[in-house]
Amino acid sequence: MPTTEFHMTRRVALGAAIVASAAGLALRARAATEIEMFFPVPVQGKLATEMQRLIGVFNTQHPDIKVTPVYTGSYDDTNFKTRAAIQAGRPPAAAIMSANFIREYVIDSAAIALDELIVNDGGTPQGFMAQFWPALALNATDQGRVYGVPFQNSTPLLFYNVQAFKDAGLDPDKPPVTWQDWVDAARKLSKPGADKWGIAWPNSYDYCGWLTSTLAMANGGQYYDTAYGGQVYYTEPATVAALRFIHDLVHTYKVMPPGVLDPNGTTAAFFSGRVGMILISTGSLGFIRDNMKQPFRTAFVPKNVVNAAPVGGGSLIIPSGNSPERQIAAWTLIKWLTSPDIAGQWSRFTGYFAPNRAAYGLPEMKQYMAANPNAGVALEQLNRYGRGWFATYKTVPVRKAMEDQVQAIMNGDISADAAAAHAQSGADALLRPYLEQTALKLPT
Amino acid sequence: MDAATLPIRMILPRQRAGTLRIRAQPWLLLAPSLVFLLAFTYWPLLQVLEGSFRDQAFGSAASWGIGNYARLFADLHFGRAAWNNLLYAVSTIAPSVILALGFALALRETTLFSMAARTLVVLPLLIPLVVAAALFTFVFLPGEGLLDWYLGPLGLRAVNWLGSPSLALGAVSAITVWKNTGYYMLFFLAGLASVSQELLDAARIDGARAVARFRHVTLPMLGPTFGFVLPIALVNALVQVDQVVTVTQGGPSDSTNLLLYYIYQQAEQNHDAGLAAAATVVSVAALLTLTMASLRTMERGIHYES
Amino acid sequence: MNRRALPLLGMIVAAAAALVWAVPFAWMAVASLRPGVPADVAALWPAPPLGLGNYLDAWQSGDFPTWYLNTVLVCGGILAVQLVTVTMAGYAFARLRFPGRDSVFVLFLLQLLLVPTLLIAPNLTTIVALGLYDRLPGIMAPYFASAFGVFLMRQAFRAIPRDFEEAAMLDGAGMFALIRHVLVPLARPSLVAFAIVSVTFHWNEFLWPLMAVSSPSRQVLTVGLASFASGSEAGGEWGVLAAGTVLVAGPLLLAFLVFQRRFVSSFVFTGLKG
Repeated sequence: MPTTEFHMTRRVALGAAIVASAAGLALRARAATEIEMFFPVPVQGKLATEMQRLIGVFNTQHPDIKVTPVYTGSYDDTNFKTRAAIQAGRPPAAAIMSANFIREYVIDSAAIALDELIVNDGGTPQGFMAQFWPALALNATDQGRVYGVPFQNSTPLLFYNVQAFKDAGLDPDKPPVTWQDWVDAARKLSKPGADKWGIAWPNSYDYCGWLTSTLAMANGGQYYDTAYGGQVYYTEPATVAALRFIHDLVHTYKVMPPGVLDPNGTTAAFFSGRVGMILISTGSLGFIRDNMKQPFRTAFVPKNVVNAAPVGGGSLIIPSGNSPERQIAAWTLIKWLTSPDIAGQWSRFTGYFAPNRAAYGLPEMKQYMAANPNAGVALEQLNRYGRGWFATYKTVPVRKAMEDQVQAIMNGDISADAAAAHAQSGADALLRPYLEQTALKLPT
Repeated sequence: MDAATLPIRMILPRQRAGTLRIRAQPWLLLAPSLVFLLAFTYWPLLQVLEGSFRDQAFGSAASWGIGNYARLFADLHFGRAAWNNLLYAVSTIAPSVILALGFALALRETTLFSMAARTLVVLPLLIPLVVAAALFTFVFLPGEGLLDWYLGPLGLRAVNWLGSPSLALGAVSAITVWKNTGYYMLFFLAGLASVSQELLDAARIDGARAVARFRHVTLPMLGPTFGFVLPIALVNALVQVDQVVTVTQGGPSDSTNLLLYYIYQQAEQNHDAGLAAAATVVSVAALLTLTMASLRTMERGIHYES
Repeated sequence: MNRRALPLLGMIVAAAAALVWAVPFAWMAVASLRPGVPADVAALWPAPPLGLGNYLDAWQSGDFPTWYLNTVLVCGGILAVQLVTVTMAGYAFARLRFPGRDSVFVLFLLQLLLVPTLLIAPNLTTIVALGLYDRLPGIMAPYFASAFGVFLMRQAFRAIPRDFEEAAMLDGAGMFALIRHVLVPLARPSLVAFAIVSVTFHWNEFLWPLMAVSSPSRQVLTVGLASFASGSEAGGEWGVLAAGTVLVAGPLLLAFLVFQRRFVSSFVFTGLKG
């Protein structure tokens, strides 16, 4: 952990850099600070093009900074590329990182704490985070220090086909609220012999873990330790029961197709009417709106014990290894991108939430929300029931330890109890080295 | 010593060069190749060997030992990847080689029909494996994809080829077979062309039927072709993982995890250099062993026949 | 079975199999020409409305000009250096005797098996250390030495009668001049064959360029296509995806269809002799 002296030295360095750059600007026409920003496109839609456009606007408004947006694939790919770039000594100045990877960046000291930059602007870390929805702080901060600034967020949402509901004798104004409602509705929508299903969701890698944690939390479970990256609760009763629910959806009630579907396969099935209800990210709202020919609506994720919706999405981080000048340029970019106006624009384009609460007070946003009740549903779920996104030491393999088991459950290869046990033992083996250096390291 | 390999100074008595310069010449010629060979084949090999014995757990200092290997063999994912790769090798090499031979036998005439058919089969050779994977993602799409769409009426309703652990590896293998068969076919075509027509005629006169002619004349003479195709196919089985990287990412449930993908995951995703190195060493050793074993078996087979 | 029937049956089966082989290409061509999201996107016959909309979409969603440029640079760069290294080394093995030749030969032989793709992890560390990470030369470097090419040239040079060399040497030609002006022209068919195989292989390579480069401005066609196809931008628009694959695979397929005989003989020739 950095000491106070280190803090002071860094703050002095930053302050000096700020003064120097101001002086430089005054003295001569300074060459623009050139920085890159890695960004993922984790949901369907033409987001990369829109991001290029936004950065173009930023560059025009800030002649002393030239940002090159670098499209780096999925959240996972963006993570690998950022890590590789840091290791190669050429980190990007900013990156939109999947919110649940930030914890590992903190553990590995691969991202800098943004507190100094916040304080230099005259704020406090707590005050800074207050502008965002509360649930987002769980993944953006570590022990009170700010590491990520939320840029785009989502939660899972239930999308349902209004016509299919009517045809099945269901009331489109009364979407399922509990798991019992959910299964009842799904049963009416399903005709397995005719390849018609009640429920489906993406359970490819990353999505699977997210939605499994959703169900576990909706069943009252914790799923993982939100304060410490060394523990997961795959075998707690609530989670095991949620796994049994998944198993039953496929094999007992027969309302969900077996096998693994990726997001494209899921939305394709929804568009073609093969599936009546899907669970998918609110970030796909824009894409679904553009491509779904039949009327559809959204609803909260059904609950068994509590309503719960873990957030997904990405936050802007500043990787380590960047010079103070680059950090300042990146900070300007970050503040601009997460400002209410820009956040609102991005939200309206994609279907993601604007993490900045003030965005919803702006006139364009109010108009948009009035015209798009589905977006309102998503926001309300986030505000009332938002939870943290699964994040641990070695998040990806620990996440996969559960995902492999869930995929096996959906294919009928394993029972829920055995799956939970395997997932936990796999995760334990991965978390062990970290545990030994932290929680298990007692004073001598 | 034949003329082709006489030392230069004996051919060129007038060459003014001193002995030292002559002796250096071969190495001068080889130097560029050797530099890159050493830098990108043998140095990495040494690095990987060394790295595989360097154990570095979170937060503690590096130590030397077989820790990585212990972890490797205890890792269920590695065992699964190794097993999958074995299955993958068998289910790609056997069909593609047999199909290649079959195509070569049926299409070796120079008729327009044969040439057109051969072209169709060879086309996949020209495209990247990721393109093949992209095309086959649609082929295998549940419900609307090519397979389910056309086989639907036959009763195969909406099979999720790439999404079922029991089918995914087969689907991935199918992509590879589709891609490689044409390439191997080219070699069998050339090999068949060199099969002595006199021997075949002699066999026919002796009363041997088509199948027997094939078994006792054609097949042994194709020995060298097999000897060429098999090592390539073995290397391919280890190295062709593009479709796993882009489409299945080792899933579902680890069912398409292959050795090179496991190595890629450990190196790129889990930042576990020691495990990646140990896995590389094991994979390379397996490749070398299998190749030598297959070549030796073939050699024995050829000698026995002739 | 009737002596005539067996070959005929074989041809029919082969014809059917060849048609099956062509199905993905047929779909690729047809789907790429049908804009929008038709209900029967699996159709193998072109059905109106037809148009080039998908190609426009694909071109705009991806960065094809950059990808084409990078791919050409990478393939060209690799080939240029390979031609030099394999000719020189091939000559050394073909005509010169020197101590250690057999051992060095084995080193080359093993590289046929120890392909760079197997060694992506340590090679990545090497190019990072050389400062070549995220640079096009970083993609090229592991391939500059080609054992495959060396064996090919060795065979090619051995097949050339000694008379040409002896005449040139009597005229006072030094070794490098000899190689450049006498042997290389005579071995052109082999060099052309090697060039075709090398370019095809490197045009289609994926895993190593994926790891060696991260900036979009330096990506090659295969990596570009993978990011383009991995769902996000193409998002289930199969026609656009098909158009994208045509754009990536098109050049080589076109070259093949025009120079078919040359391509085929190259692959066979290099395989059997190499």
